[in-house]
Amino acid sequence: MTDPMIDGFRQTGRPCLATALVAAVCAALAGAAQGAPKPAKVTCASCHRAEAQSQPKTPMGIGIELPPNQQPLETHPKLTVEENGYHYSVERKNGVSSYTVSDASGTLTLPVRYAFGVDNLTFVLEYQGHFYESLVSYYKKIEGLGITMGDDKIRPHDLTEAMGRQTSDQEIKACFTCHGTGGVSQGKLTLDSLRPGLTCEHCHAGADAHMQALTGGKPAPIPRKLGEMAAEEMSNFCGQCHRTWETVVGLRLFGEKNVRFQPYRLANSQCFLGDDKRIRCTACHDPHVDLVREEASYDRACLSCHTVSQKTCPVANKNCVSCHMPKVEVAGTPAVFTDHQIRVVHPGEPYPQ
Amino acid sequence: MLRALSGTAVLWTIVSIVAHAATFDELAAEAATARRGNRIPEAIELYRQAVQLRASWVEGWWFLGTLSYATYQYAGCEAAFDEFVKLDDKRALAWSLLGLCEFETGKYDPALDHLRQGLAGKDLAPEVEAGVRFHYGLLLTRAGLFDAGNRELARYARGGAHEPMLIQGLGLNALHQSLLPKEAPAESLDAVTKAGEAARCWIVGENEKAEAGFQDLVKEYPAVLGVHYLYGTYLSYSRPEDAMAELRRELELNPGNADAGARLALLLVHANDFSSALPYAKKAVAERPNDALAEYAYGEVLLGTEDLQPAIARLEAAERLDPAALEYHMALKGAYSRAGRHDDARREWRLSMDLATGKTHDRPHD
Repeated sequence: MTDPMIDGFRQTGRPCLATALVAAVCAALAGAAQGAPKPAKVTCASCHRAEAQSQPKTPMGIGIELPPNQQPLETHPKLTVEENGYHYSVERKNGVSSYTVSDASGTLTLPVRYAFGVDNLTFVLEYQGHFYESLVSYYKKIEGLGITMGDDKIRPHDLTEAMGRQTSDQEIKACFTCHGTGGVSQGKLTLDSLRPGLTCEHCHAGADAHMQALTGGKPAPIPRKLGEMAAEEMSNFCGQCHRTWETVVGLRLFGEKNVRFQPYRLANSQCFLGDDKRIRCTACHDPHVDLVREEASYDRACLSCHTVSQKTCPVANKNCVSCHMPKVEVAGTPAVFTDHQIRVVHPGEPYPQ
Repeated sequence: MLRALSGTAVLWTIVSIVAHAATFDELAAEAATARRGNRIPEAIELYRQAVQLRASWVEGWWFLGTLSYATYQYAGCEAAFDEFVKLDDKRALAWSLLGLCEFETGKYDPALDHLRQGLAGKDLAPEVEAGVRFHYGLLLTRAGLFDAGNRELARYARGGAHEPMLIQGLGLNALHQSLLPKEAPAESLDAVTKAGEAARCWIVGENEKAEAGFQDLVKEYPAVLGVHYLYGTYLSYSRPEDAMAELRRELELNPGNADAGARLALLLVHANDFSSALPYAKKAVAERPNDALAEYAYGEVLLGTEDLQPAIARLEAAERLDPAALEYHMALKGAYSRAGRHDDARREWRLSMDLATGKTHDRPHD
């Protein structure tokens, strides 16, 4: 797809419309600042109002629930579950949540500082200088606690192991990088400056410099237009957090648990063509707005390739995802995911790894 | 025990054989009887005489070779299987035994080639295959094909082996020294062994021991070539910033270590710092032409800078040089996919999945 701004530049040989717009914005902002003690501060919302307003309310915009705002724990002030012979509870008192595991040998209680996720919450706990992923998580579907996804094979031998799985240095940095902003700086954890969720800069590298330059009334370099990416490149881009195809294959993360790694699943689809924009992540999902759950709303994306002139589905002409992207319940947990490996699903066939 | 046979006894055996046997059929029958009766030296001599009378006797060469191997007579075994494979080149065990004998007699280049042919046959018994892969891994290391060698030695180590020859082989491989354990200078043996033991712990998932081992190695042998490369490689999976520092130290000590440059370039690619990665990748391919890792790193840098066609050429070169490396197939899948080469992307997708899921055993290195 061509960009009319770029085409305009190519055709006329004059500065493109984008540059002209930037200059106009700079002039307007500088003008607004004239006579004022400080220049007007430019934010993303100054120009991208709709995206800047809606994105912070999305799951990516929230990312982590930090105290005291840990919403599901506020509405469920006492959660308990028995797993592997241990008793777990997550209790909220006076605006503070704590995570407790106990057995006949004793009790271990830790504060819940980091609740990762939005509807489903996994707790990252600090204990004796190390970080742990809690062995039980909160699941919205059951409004209660269950074994954390991926940890169902763990059989704890003591209270510490029952409390959680110790994370590696690299893993914990990846957690905070993908769920928050400012938690990792120059390769080190900087949790004092952690803010929940992903800000614009996270995906739009250069956005902060862009805004600073504009605030100073100068022309600013424009961050890369991510809309130029086709499927393969975007899959790798989003996969930095949602796991790339290469990551899953390289680490041999096979089995139905990999259903939550959407870029990997999508890239396994027969219809995934890396140079095509019609099958890239944003063909279906706008990351600036909340996830759309109406199945019919995705038909438009399917029909952008599967037109009436091509071989079409013999069963239905709407709600394509209801058959071709089945829901998968991950064994051992109450979590359900949409399988992004688009395919003709045959009854009883095993999960394609 | 058999080695302990006195020269007199052997001479007596040979004299008695020559005195009794005459025709091919008689020799063949007597050889089989001796073999079944576990009279191995006598059987070997009878088979030797029989194949001299009839050089096209495949079974004779086979038994001459296997009995010689069983009695550590590697030169005789090698000669027998050299003739055998001319008559029947489909037997993986024959190629493997030929290669193993050549390993013992010091003919390392043909040994590498013949062990590769043996492994390509895919019909070796698991316990034989393990031994063949171990020797193959040592020879790949000697040939400077460190990544391919590491895969073979690691597979052997994962089976629970930890004999000194394996540890030393792993150490030489890890330090990128193109030597067999028996060729390692005595003064470097301690560093090699410590590197090998730490590498073994890493391979089998004993990470605390591995980390401690690598730290001790760096502290004790900071000037030994390959030590910082090894520690940097280990750290690259968990602490990339520290890994980069170690790789830079290695390059200060040994600017010609192309793989250190290549690994550093890859870490910079993962940090999206393509402009810093480029000179390291370029230098790596210039320093070591036909190095799969260097080609791969350069290909990944070029992918990052959107130079798609040159990137594909580099990644194809890497895959050609080391077709058993999963990473190269995965990178090519992505590159073809971006380039709109859908059939090629699908093929690499399948190859990657087969390698990752074990449906395809690692193809021997070409």
